[in-house]
Amino acid sequence: MLNLDINGRRVTVRKGTTLLVAIREAGFEVPTLCHHEALEPYGACRLCVVEVREPGRKKTRVVTACNFPAKTGLAVETESEAVIETRREVMDLLLARCPGSPVIRQLAASVGLNRSSYPPDQNRDNCILCGLCVRVCDKLGYSAITQAGRGATREVVAPMREPPPDCVGCGACARICPTNNIPLVDRDSMRRVWDRDFEMVRCVGCGRAYITREYQESRVAASGLPASHFERCDECSRSLTAQTMYQHMVLRDKEASHE
Amino acid sequence: MSKMLTVTPGRCIGCRTCEVACAFRHANAGVPGRSRVQVRTVAKDVWVPILCLQCDEAACVKACPVFALWRNPITGAIDVKSNRCVRCNACVPACPFGNMAVESPARAVVKCDVCEGDPACAQFCPTRALEYLEV
Repeated sequence: MLNLDINGRRVTVRKGTTLLVAIREAGFEVPTLCHHEALEPYGACRLCVVEVREPGRKKTRVVTACNFPAKTGLAVETESEAVIETRREVMDLLLARCPGSPVIRQLAASVGLNRSSYPPDQNRDNCILCGLCVRVCDKLGYSAITQAGRGATREVVAPMREPPPDCVGCGACARICPTNNIPLVDRDSMRRVWDRDFEMVRCVGCGRAYITREYQESRVAASGLPASHFERCDECSRSLTAQTMYQHMVLRDKEASHE
Repeated sequence: MSKMLTVTPGRCIGCRTCEVACAFRHANAGVPGRSRVQVRTVAKDVWVPILCLQCDEAACVKACPVFALWRNPITGAIDVKSNRCVRCNACVPACPFGNMAVESPARAVVKCDVCEGDPACAQFCPTRALEYLEV
């Protein structure tokens, strides 16, 4: 176990805990955009900055809490002057990058920024390069998309900027994106994501197209569940459950009347 | 001693009070949540409330690639760690009873958590079609 001070409060955490987890467990709030509990820490958004003083040192430094390991004797401040200033600067840059994103605007307003002090970037989409889409795709085992380029030209793309062959059209990237920047369109039993068109499987009950064939096949294989589990939409599964329960009721009543 | 949320369809009068109770119990910032229980009409004047059966060998748990679904040792129900959910929606079709749902705007999956041991649906059901009983 490790003992450290967070905002003057002594807390005890397990070995291997990151600062961000320790801070949140202690009940303090730190804003994040690229953090996700099921994914490895990434340190991309820089919003989770905190000020730490390591044991035996006089000087403090500002670090990202999400990928900084907790250590015994560490003194952490989450709302010090240096932290507030750094967070505001990060927010200022994010706001200049995506002036049109409601999520970023709201977050910026929470640190008192209504407009960026940098010239706003007009020609860019709302991607903040947090890498959540790429990481969730890796986690699910598809690795269909990646980050390419360096510095100002860095972007999330499919390999060779072509429709990604490894994509199964699950849509997790679009749903996890904090700025809703990944377009996913379902139309007439087709799904379009990353410029690739997927044919969707129709539910055996109602005929609604509800899952891509590639995703259905890969989930059957990964979960070890029978393929019949993935044939129906949730709506039809509920109807089937209700019908089955009803038939059991009728059957039971019939048996009772025969006795 | 553990408790279980039981359904007795023969008693259901289709009033859908359970749906309202559920939506309000799972309200977020004043907005009612998606009801985790749904009443189905199966024949004339016959209704069946459908909600999570908290399966022993749950398909949703097997389908989840990131272990965001786990059995709560206190309530015995399968809970969603919404901060762990990666929005892959694999569990939604996987559940053979159709009891996994996606809730806007977070897009994380939601399911019946027996209201952490005090289910609102059973509390408000006027005919005891839904009950929270010792088993």
